[in-house]
Amino acid sequence: MSLLQRDREIILSNEYVDNFDFAEAEEFVKNASKNLFISHAFKNNKGKTLVQPRGGFPTYDKMHALYEQFSPVVDVLPMTIDSHTRLNDYGSAAKMLRLSEETETDLLNGYPLVNHGYRTTRKMVTHFDTPVSLRHGTPDARLLIELAIASGVFEIEGGPITYILPYSKNFPQDKAFLYWKHVERVCAKYSTINEPINRESFGPLTATLVPPCITIVIQIAEMMLSLEEGVKSFSVSFAQTGSLNQDLVTSKVLRKLATKYAHKIGVTDATINLVYHQWMGAFPRDKFKSDSLIDAGAMIAKMVGADKIITKTRAEAFGIPTKEDNAQAVANVQYTLNMLQGIPSFVDEEEEENLTNQVDEIFEAIFNDKADTLWRKVFNSIKNGIIDVPFSPHIINNNELITVRDKQSNIRIYKKGKLPISDKSFKYEQSKLNLGANTDSVVNQIIKDIGVML
Amino acid sequence: MKVVIGVVGNDIHVVANRLIDISLQSRGYEVFNLGVNTYLEEFIDAVIETDSKVLLISSLNGEAEGWCRDLLVLKDKYKLDDVVFVIGGNLSVGEGTESQIVPQFEGYGFDLVFHQKDLMEGLDTLHDFVQNKFGGSK
Repeated sequence: MSLLQRDREIILSNEYVDNFDFAEAEEFVKNASKNLFISHAFKNNKGKTLVQPRGGFPTYDKMHALYEQFSPVVDVLPMTIDSHTRLNDYGSAAKMLRLSEETETDLLNGYPLVNHGYRTTRKMVTHFDTPVSLRHGTPDARLLIELAIASGVFEIEGGPITYILPYSKNFPQDKAFLYWKHVERVCAKYSTINEPINRESFGPLTATLVPPCITIVIQIAEMMLSLEEGVKSFSVSFAQTGSLNQDLVTSKVLRKLATKYAHKIGVTDATINLVYHQWMGAFPRDKFKSDSLIDAGAMIAKMVGADKIITKTRAEAFGIPTKEDNAQAVANVQYTLNMLQGIPSFVDEEEEENLTNQVDEIFEAIFNDKADTLWRKVFNSIKNGIIDVPFSPHIINNNELITVRDKQSNIRIYKKGKLPISDKSFKYEQSKLNLGANTDSVVNQIIKDIGVML
Repeated sequence: MKVVIGVVGNDIHVVANRLIDISLQSRGYEVFNLGVNTYLEEFIDAVIETDSKVLLISSLNGEAEGWCRDLLVLKDKYKLDDVVFVIGGNLSVGEGTESQIVPQFEGYGFDLVFHQKDLMEGLDTLHDFVQNKFGGSK
């Protein structure tokens, strides 16, 4: 028995898992409908932007009703997992699920997949015969993804950096790399028997003034760590920055450099997709303004040629949307996307060159780290502040990088901390800013910039 | 002057915490930032360990009331009379008014209480308070 298989058996001998049957799960994936694979849709839908909302409810019945509501309008169904399951606390999830069923109120903020089990969940997934995407935020997802894949959920979001730095204060970052390495291997293993399992990185990070160079470096780092283990279909992603131009520039550089760095590690046969998140920052409390913001996001997704868009709703400022609000938002986004045919192309050579240089400069420093493996190089780079995510709550994050918006609303680097960008790159950023030396005014500017859509 | 800061309880509001950090540093303080999700005992440990003169606790989700009731006991136990205790943010879960909340938290042992106050205004007040208490040197 391989080491991987031994680990999988240990992980799945969990009191909350009811007799996981490896052979049966493999047989199911092997014969599964092509319609369940988003990797298949990406290959055959060239030019179409797939639309995926967010959503997850505790009980099977409410989840089924949500999918029923979504089914006519969405291209990809979401399966958002509750926060107890994300922390591997299946006991609390079980208790809250039971209470939710008894009281008919939602006491979990997502679907507790482990407690429902894969036999039950598979019935729902195969019934709708539409790709399902696993949305979670789990540092140690080794158990969760087994149950997801055995249920017919063939897209797994997350990664060792993007599910740690924005979400956790002290989950050990090195452990996260190793746990996700296991996840990649399981995904890779299943990818050889039918269409590939798609892995997707979570580009929005903290969704708070993250400069595009950091987003791109982290997207590509997670992509390389995944491809290294044999994953064949990977989505890099980013969220609406708040600047139309910066979105266009980011998408071009991200696509171009993702391919370049995949080749750099010797991978030429993987499909790399681009996913665009509608605005992830604070939403206006005015629902009509929210509608405009969502429309703008849909238009930009089309302009950047996104393979998939992940939508928001007009209820964003008020909590979890109803299934009706959510489905309506999707229908509107589909309408906007269909309206926009034949988008002219935009080029901003100066900005593209600057961003490309910054990413290459950061990767040069990462590759120059003395560690023997890529994950250790990336880990050390996070520790050293070579990778620094603004407003991460994690104790490992360096917190010296400070960003603000320029007059065109582009996110610019005000203080670079230990970011290894060249003087030329840094000067370019500075040349776009017009701030005094007074830090109070910079802090006030940051507060304004975070709330730019309010 | 050394100052310990952080967000108390199961509160993950990192943005305000980081902005307080930046602002204090620019005003010449040496900042020890414990970040989000910090318990009262951890704050006290950090004050003793770093020999800080100011402890600035923030809270945005209204949990502060529950977490800060033991402050007087800890102040007495570790003889922290020389330390300035500050709390700010959104200090009540409900619709509490400033005139109720300020005396309540002063009663818990805080020297300065800022409920829904502007950040810069609060830091100016802290500056004046520290000047009065410790004299001119920072």
